Amino acid sequence: MREQRRKDAVWMFLTYAFILTMVVVMLIPLYWMIVAATLPQQEFIEFPPRLIPGTAFLDNFAALQERMNYVLTIWNSVFIAVVYTVLSLLLCSMAGFAFAKYEFRFKEPLFYSILATLVLPIQLLVIPLFLMMSQVGWTDTFRAIILPWLANPIGIFLMRQNMRSIPDALLESARMDGASELQIFYRIALPAMRSSLAALAIILFLFQWDLFLYPLVILEDPGNYTIPVALAGLEGTQRIYYDQIMVATTLAIIPMAILFLVLQKQFVSGILAGSLKE
Amino acid sequence: MARIEIDNLTKVYDSGDESIVAVEDLDLEVEDGEFLVLVGPSGCGKSTTLRCIAGLEDVTEGSLRFGERDVTALRGSERDVAMVFQNYALYPHMTVRENIGFGLKLSTKLTAAEISERVESVASMLGITDLLEDKPKELSGGQQQRVALGRAIVREPAVFLMDEPLSNLDAKLRAEMRTELQELQQDLDVTTVYVTHDQTEAMAMGDRVAVMNDGVLQQVGPPEGIYRQPVNEFVANFIGSPSINMLTAEIDGDSLTGPAGFSYRLSDTTSVKGHSRVRVGVRPEDITITDDGPNSATVSVVEPMGNENFCYMELGDHELTARIDPDLRPRAGETVRFTFDEEALYLFDADSGAALKTKSDAVAPGIETEVSS
Repeated sequence: MREQRRKDAVWMFLTYAFILTMVVVMLIPLYWMIVAATLPQQEFIEFPPRLIPGTAFLDNFAALQERMNYVLTIWNSVFIAVVYTVLSLLLCSMAGFAFAKYEFRFKEPLFYSILATLVLPIQLLVIPLFLMMSQVGWTDTFRAIILPWLANPIGIFLMRQNMRSIPDALLESARMDGASELQIFYRIALPAMRSSLAALAIILFLFQWDLFLYPLVILEDPGNYTIPVALAGLEGTQRIYYDQIMVATTLAIIPMAILFLVLQKQFVSGILAGSLKE
Repeated sequence: MARIEIDNLTKVYDSGDESIVAVEDLDLEVEDGEFLVLVGPSGCGKSTTLRCIAGLEDVTEGSLRFGERDVTALRGSERDVAMVFQNYALYPHMTVRENIGFGLKLSTKLTAAEISERVESVASMLGITDLLEDKPKELSGGQQQRVALGRAIVREPAVFLMDEPLSNLDAKLRAEMRTELQELQQDLDVTTVYVTHDQTEAMAMGDRVAVMNDGVLQQVGPPEGIYRQPVNEFVANFIGSPSINMLTAEIDGDSLTGPAGFSYRLSDTTSVKGHSRVRVGVRPEDITITDDGPNSATVSVVEPMGNENFCYMELGDHELTARIDPDLRPRAGETVRFTFDEEALYLFDADSGAALKTKSDAVAPGIETEVSS
């Protein structure tokens, strides 16, 4: 008995030690980024590296802002990601609802062909999309960044899977209560999907937030740049301003971190939705 | 209030290359204010029939009328019906108050205050006033059931449709709710169609019972009539618990000769004229265990129920069940002699299953036993 308890305790200790090590390993670059953002450029390249944050954050930010309007860049990214997330959530949940709860011709082939688009890498789509956008005169606009990705196959798949768990009787009951199909969708189905919607919101926001190659091709005016495009521009050709890059990167992760913290509880239960019988 | 008239209702499901006939040529009338129970084994078409009445399924052929109104082409919400589902189908994100009021909010022009008043009066009728602000997941099965009923009642529909509403409750609660539902239906006097696979429930609740099998309506009538005068072997078998005892017998002059030496002499042979084989049925309560009975069987199990005993016996390969007096407890393995009244005998055509003779009204319902000395 005591032997067993000691063994358990040792295992517990080893497990936590392992997890802790992994956490530290993952946090080091993040911490170094934040520290580096607060150091002047010359101290940044010193060896051994400084581990205590400095006081130059605001100076670095001012230097960055002088080179480019980075506040505007953050605003562009937030605007694009938020609009995209809201519209895509609506579209994906409607499509998922239809695929899960209605019968129509070619339903299965249609669904699987949407899924099949997952195998196409963005790199392959960039040129045709650019051509399409320039034909309609949409280059260098936000709608060109948002529109092509609205029908997100992962989003449609996730919503379809989770919508299937809504009992048919619930929808029929609403139908008998006099609800229209649209009312059934937004008054019954959507509220039941709250945690899945939260999970999908994070996935969609992150997708758009990180999109680089496509906006790089579409956007021309630096005033329209999104964060990834602007960050790439910071590297320059002669001298790399690490201090400014680190400030820009630190600021870039803040909105994402806030979103995740707000939705994290729903995110976990949304990802696990349907895996356990309630 | 409405009288339901179902004419030649047929429902066919097309699934790719094969089509399944769920309901075939159903004719049925439900009187205004009547409580009709649709009963049958699973897959017999009873739920499909209900869903057609509700407007949740299109009918393939035939028509539906509520009173003077042809509702065949109308949507469920336009038919003035309310349905209670087997799993209650309460909206999980709404409170009890919102659940009950949802239909009124969507389909009537009542003000919020009027809706609230009606919701509260229904809640007090069902004794759930103190649950109005709770969410469905905080309620017990019985309470959820009441909310589901409340949601149907509050709309004051012309027709109530209930799809096995008690099947998720435990036995005791089910019996309680059964009585409560009947009382409620009598008070409200709303035409009700109730679907169940439980024949006890059907017998206990229905003004009339409609028995279905394989998509075909077998018989409609008051519970007692269905029990005593089934039109065929299926109905005789399905209605009654424990089930009727059935065996095949040859007709030899005026006697029936069955398996394992079973024989019975008929005093009136008019019903079996022209038949050489028939199916013989005797209800468990009509079998009397008595020393001078003409037939014998071996007791396999005796189940004491308190007020009566179920005696399971073997007659060759056949199992017979007898409902006997609680004082009478034959031991397992013992051979007992038994008899039954010819009046209580059922005879069915051996091929078609159609009834040739049913229990006559001369037989009093209930158990008749003689304690052997």
